[in-house]
Amino acid sequence: MHTPYLVLIILAPLLGALLNGGLYLYHIKRKAIPEIIFALIGTITPFIAFIFTLLLFFELKDTGTTFHQTLFTWLNINGLNIEMKFLGDKLAIFMAMFVTFVGWLIHIYAVGYMKKDEGFGKFFAYFNLFLASMLILVLADNPIIMFIGWEGVGVCSYLLISFYYTESQNVMAGNKAFIVNRVGDLGFILGVVTLFFALGKTGLDFTSMQENIGVATTGTLALAGVLLFIGAMGKSAQVPLYVWLPDAMAGPTPISALIHAATMVTAGVYMVARFHFLYTGIEEIGLFIAYIGAISALFAAIIATRQTDIKKILAYSTMSQLGYMFIAVGLGFYSSGLFHVFTHAFFKAMLFMGAGAVILALHHEQNIFKMAKHRVYQPIVKATFLIGVIAIAGIPPFSGFFSKDAILAAAFQKEEFLLYGIGIFTAFLTAFYMFRLYFIVFVAPNGHDVHYASTDKTISFPLLVLAIGAIFAGFLNFPAVFAGEHQVDTWLAQLQSATLTLSHSTEYILMAASVAVAALGILVAYIKYAKFNLEVPETEEGIIGNKFYIDELYHLLFVKSLKKISTFFDKVVDEKIVDGMVMTVSREFVDFGKKLAFLQNGNVRFYALYMLIGMSCAFLYLYTTLIGQ
Amino acid sequence: MTSLLGYATVSMILFSIGAIGVISRRNIFVIYMSIELMLNAINLFLVTFARYHLNMDGHVISMIVVAIAAAEAAIFLSVIILLFRSKGKLDTDIFTELKQEVE
Amino acid sequence: MGTDILSFIIFLPAFVAFVLMISTTKVEDVRNIAFITTIIILVLVLKTYLGYEPNSEMQFVTNVPWILNYGINYYIGVDGFSLTILMMIAILIPTSYLLLWDGRTKGYWINMLMVQTGVTGALLSLDIILFYFFWEVMLLPVFLMIGNFGTGNKIFTTIKVTVYTMFGSLMMFVAILYLGVAHFEEFGTWSFQYSDLTQITIFSYQEKFWLFLGFLTAFAIKIPLFPFHTWIMDTYKNAPTGAVFLLSSIMAKLGIYAVVRFMIPLFPDIYIQFSSWFVFIGLFGLIYFGIAALMQDDIKRMFAYSSASHLSFIAAGIFSLNEYGIIGALYLVIAHAIATGALFLLIGVLYDQTGIKTIKDLGGIAKQAPIFTFIFAIMLFANIGLPGTNGFVAELLIIFGVFEFNQVMGYIAAITVLVSASFMLWMFQRAILQKKEGPALKMRDLKVKEILGLAPWVILVFLMGVYPEPFIDKFEPSVAHYLTDILKLGAAK
Repeated sequence: MHTPYLVLIILAPLLGALLNGGLYLYHIKRKAIPEIIFALIGTITPFIAFIFTLLLFFELKDTGTTFHQTLFTWLNINGLNIEMKFLGDKLAIFMAMFVTFVGWLIHIYAVGYMKKDEGFGKFFAYFNLFLASMLILVLADNPIIMFIGWEGVGVCSYLLISFYYTESQNVMAGNKAFIVNRVGDLGFILGVVTLFFALGKTGLDFTSMQENIGVATTGTLALAGVLLFIGAMGKSAQVPLYVWLPDAMAGPTPISALIHAATMVTAGVYMVARFHFLYTGIEEIGLFIAYIGAISALFAAIIATRQTDIKKILAYSTMSQLGYMFIAVGLGFYSSGLFHVFTHAFFKAMLFMGAGAVILALHHEQNIFKMAKHRVYQPIVKATFLIGVIAIAGIPPFSGFFSKDAILAAAFQKEEFLLYGIGIFTAFLTAFYMFRLYFIVFVAPNGHDVHYASTDKTISFPLLVLAIGAIFAGFLNFPAVFAGEHQVDTWLAQLQSATLTLSHSTEYILMAASVAVAALGILVAYIKYAKFNLEVPETEEGIIGNKFYIDELYHLLFVKSLKKISTFFDKVVDEKIVDGMVMTVSREFVDFGKKLAFLQNGNVRFYALYMLIGMSCAFLYLYTTLIGQ
Repeated sequence: MTSLLGYATVSMILFSIGAIGVISRRNIFVIYMSIELMLNAINLFLVTFARYHLNMDGHVISMIVVAIAAAEAAIFLSVIILLFRSKGKLDTDIFTELKQEVE
Repeated sequence: MGTDILSFIIFLPAFVAFVLMISTTKVEDVRNIAFITTIIILVLVLKTYLGYEPNSEMQFVTNVPWILNYGINYYIGVDGFSLTILMMIAILIPTSYLLLWDGRTKGYWINMLMVQTGVTGALLSLDIILFYFFWEVMLLPVFLMIGNFGTGNKIFTTIKVTVYTMFGSLMMFVAILYLGVAHFEEFGTWSFQYSDLTQITIFSYQEKFWLFLGFLTAFAIKIPLFPFHTWIMDTYKNAPTGAVFLLSSIMAKLGIYAVVRFMIPLFPDIYIQFSSWFVFIGLFGLIYFGIAALMQDDIKRMFAYSSASHLSFIAAGIFSLNEYGIIGALYLVIAHAIATGALFLLIGVLYDQTGIKTIKDLGGIAKQAPIFTFIFAIMLFANIGLPGTNGFVAELLIIFGVFEFNQVMGYIAAITVLVSASFMLWMFQRAILQKKEGPALKMRDLKVKEILGLAPWVILVFLMGVYPEPFIDKFEPSVAHYLTDILKLGAAK
């Protein structure tokens, strides 16, 4: 069904971005504009997008027909027909819903967080632009338009991570994010191109690709699947393309909350789900994806246990949870993976925002041990943070339990016991390190009196709203085991996800196991950290503390060697060899000329000799030709 | 007349001597004298063939050559004086202003 | 006026240049008149662009005998290819004037005008000797500009680049003459119109191969393709901004255009046979130049390598033998001209203000000059090929094209995604963003006229990126027709 509203969802934040950007340039060049204007534009536009999404959601719920909106033909050459077209099917609207909602809340939060920052207007311009790009990604009808959004969020991520650009650290982090992302994008583009030709050039939009998927051989599809997943690896910070995510914490906290928790990083999961018709036919690739997810989850969780920067802990936690999502979609349980995306968005964004509130209150201190020493008491922040930590640990009835448990059950059902084992162990670690964080920052006694601090309404409002989501969102996909209607799974039925078919008793046992493991993690954390001696803080040492030296390895392997190769190309090959050849040619000519110049020695007698020789030869020639006559 | 070959030979020998003289001698006067020698050798050659073919052409050309030689003498000697005034010597090897300096 | 509009477009700048040269007017007047001339040209070209019909024929043709005895005609016309490039040149040149506005001498402007004539003439010529004439005309003003207004080792640089390019032109000239003679032998008449020359059938394979090489030398030097690129290092570093802009944005494109217009139709079988080689050289150049750019400290040299990288990629697209690749290549020609041209001009402004050329001495520009940084960033991202900009559309199409040609090479082609990003972002960080005390503080932000000059380019970058179809429409029929012709000819021979 055609609708004019899809593009409006995107246009609203886009207009906001342009408006804020223009006003900001005016603000720095001519006359200052009060912050409130930027804030209003910046927060109203996401809200408008949310409203439109909501409208479309209700209509979709009632009628069940997918929305389409074609704007214009983007490119049409010889079978490559790409239209600027948007698709509002249940998957897209599902994603758009929480992206706009959580996005809107974080925009409100940012008003409070970025107060008095001199780049206030610029921030909101970039932030809105990010939201618009993410929406393009989600609502796109074909992978090329999706890629526009895909790269768009990458660029905004770069701009926002490097927001405080005068410090080179931040810009380097931004560069790293962009370039590592691009490595992933390389895979994505190749995947799209391979797929296009494998399908016999029959059209690149998702619906026609889905129909024609049978045309291609399994081998080619597997290749395309792997390549596309490389894009997801980069975007969603899975091993081995994850190194940008911890560094990305250099950006202001609102962007960590929005981009690196709730939206951009989930784009990879969405993409795999979107290409479900491709992945269901190539189960080995799916298994590969699941293993990458599992490895990333475990790896990140291990590192997180020794990190001391609050945002980095949360960053690794995100990477870990993303791993879970990929386990799910890799095994074909697309809706379970997406459900975890959904719940994770709520509690992770809330955790980041809470962390940001504490950071702000403590004047931008980010080391958890120092934060503990100078702790100020903000009741709402502490409470919501606790809710978030419980949710992520997977304790019922909070949302994290339902989504995580569904994934673990999926692994169990598929008899991928290694995956299940990794998942359960990581769940233990998750509970452990998250509660470590909570206990240190909020609980461990620091020998001081309690200092109270007030929390800005722009900060507490989003936290409270998200807390409600973190607590209750699980009920949206209440499993059949508890006689629930698992609405999310039903909504996303188009993906033809695998379904859980375990017996109820098995499921109960699995659930009990998850809860037990989480409780164990909390217990260990409690024992170790609830009464921690803050005078002897932990430091980041040892293999785990140094994140397994992966960053250093990458730097050596890629950055250093590339620089060496570059210098080699420039100084040796170009200057000495290639240009050397050119200059040698010219030098030979000049030398030859100099040698000939000896003949021109200015001496009359030599010239007379030359004349004599010349004339003799001429006459000899004439003589010999004339003699014939 | 077999002495034709003899006259021609003498003429060629004289011409050769003159040519070598122009090239290998450094004194300007000697160069000049060699040039005159070459001209006279050619005169001899021309007259010999005129006599052989009983033709006036050779004689006519010979007279023209003599006239040219005289004109040339006048100019040549003036130039020698100018050259001597400019450098003070009569060695042709020192007149190398037109040479390109090789760095 | 209808069919003579092209002649007017070609010769007006030269005429104005001569008039200005002999009248001793002040620099400001010379500059203003030159600027107005380029605006007039822009209007005329726009008129031609709008009046062009997107089919595959030559339009606005003028064909007049010039040197009768040897069949050399004054034969000009446009088709989809040349029109698009013409439009691009017509827009780029006036706006570049706005960015070069202050501090130049009279000779500078006169040379700029002359180059415009040369380039336009070469672009529109359909007679190969006429093309050669304009090709040489194009070189001489640049020679003068670099030699007079350049920096560093300017005399050496200008002689090197001019002689190197002329060497290539000489090879091409020999080939041209050979072609003319062959035509005479086969058909009994002299002609140098390329449509006639393509009909020659008496060549042996050997001859065709060497002739092809002769043409190729000239163009490979101009584009530049590895390994004929070493002139760019010194030239881009030492040449004045205007010359660098002209060389990179405009004249290099002429090399690409000439390959398409002359070299390929004349020897389609050789082209088809060796296309793998050329795609390989193109991709090799893309990666090699991109890597070499990384450690450059002189900003202009870094951009020289970046430029060479993109141009090699364009060449790879042209040699991929299919519509995607060729259309992508043409699109990248325009995208690259805009993005790289803008970057060079902006660097020129930077140099004029601060006197710095090396990245390690720069820094902190962003705080001083936010609008400069903003436009610089946009052009930078267009260069990297960010979706939403025209660079992306172009690179995507070329990837598709090379992929269709050969799957493995297609995979290599996709590396373009990474290449520019790495060194550009690093340069941006060090030169523009990072804080640093020092001479960079002398930087002023862009003036209104400079912003106005760059505004159309920024608009084009996004317009062509978001809505490419109408632009591609204008020249797609030409490309399709061209390709079928070439492939047919190639098969027949």
